[in-house]
Amino acid sequence: MALRFRRQETVPEIEAPEPSGTPIAAVRPREQVTVVGKVTRMRAKPSSGLPALSITITDASGTVNVVWTGRRSIGGIALGRKVVISGVPRLNGDRVEFLNPVYTLLEA
Amino acid sequence: MKVVIAGAGSVGRYMAQQLCGAGHTVTLIDNDPGVASRSQSLKGTDGTPVTFLLGDACEVDVLTIAGVAEADVVAAVTGDDEDNLVISLLSKQEFAVPRVVGRVNNPNNEWMFTEMWGVDVSVSTPHLLTAMVEEAVTIGSFVRLLSLEGGKARLAEVTLAAESPALGKEIAGIGLPRESTVVALLRDGHVVVPRGDTVLRQGDEVLVLVTGDSEDDVRRLLVG
Repeated sequence: MALRFRRQETVPEIEAPEPSGTPIAAVRPREQVTVVGKVTRMRAKPSSGLPALSITITDASGTVNVVWTGRRSIGGIALGRKVVISGVPRLNGDRVEFLNPVYTLLEA
Repeated sequence: MKVVIAGAGSVGRYMAQQLCGAGHTVTLIDNDPGVASRSQSLKGTDGTPVTFLLGDACEVDVLTIAGVAEADVVAAVTGDDEDNLVISLLSKQEFAVPRVVGRVNNPNNEWMFTEMWGVDVSVSTPHLLTAMVEEAVTIGSFVRLLSLEGGKARLAEVTLAAESPALGKEIAGIGLPRESTVVALLRDGHVVVPRGDTVLRQGDEVLVLVTGDSEDDVRRLLVG
């Protein structure tokens, strides 16, 4: 018996809910928080001679720094990419900064 | 200040007693039930009890119970360098602790105790002992005493020998590079606050703060 492929019903595309986070301007040091924003600045830096990737995330309310140590690049993290960052930020000088936070890549 | 100390060996217990006695809130963590019996009744030098927590400080849950999220300082002072690095990294990364102090047991591991692993200040007993011995036996050489900000600034000491090119000169006149400064002079058992017109003499112990690459220049100017 010949197998017939049935035409697949078109499934309406489920739109991923736009992830919501705390406005970056409201981020406080030492409080667990999730923010959503675009990568607006990237810098691979030798931090005390050791590698680190430093990026800046921007949303409508402001900007925040994110640092990952031990690497100079992360696949998918590029300028203009929208990302979700989750962690406990610290105060580095007068800037709030995430150190090795959990991240999720969103559509560019 | 709220201080969390990981490792209740002789170092950790001593620190807990001293800091508790100085009025700080101290929590001591160790996972060895043997030291727990000795640490549970530990009191500060003023009689205030030290909070003891039995658990593995390398686990986030244990650090949470210890109150690391509100701690001003975490001191990782176990006898195991791997544990100290894990505790330091977790304290910085998961709890954003402002100041993390890490104890170096094996000097070969000292290079790892940097901001890369969340350590703000590393303390290496073998290194300190070496520096103290060097300081005691050497005149006319450049002895590094302390490393600050992950090695970006260093406190060094030079005892001026007879052949030092700086003898008889004013501090302002020896041409020290901008990245360095004389912070104190020890002369005849007294501490002299250095000024630009202070004249250096043989036997002076000069404490210099050097940053960047200025160390070689300072060494040349003071040692010769």
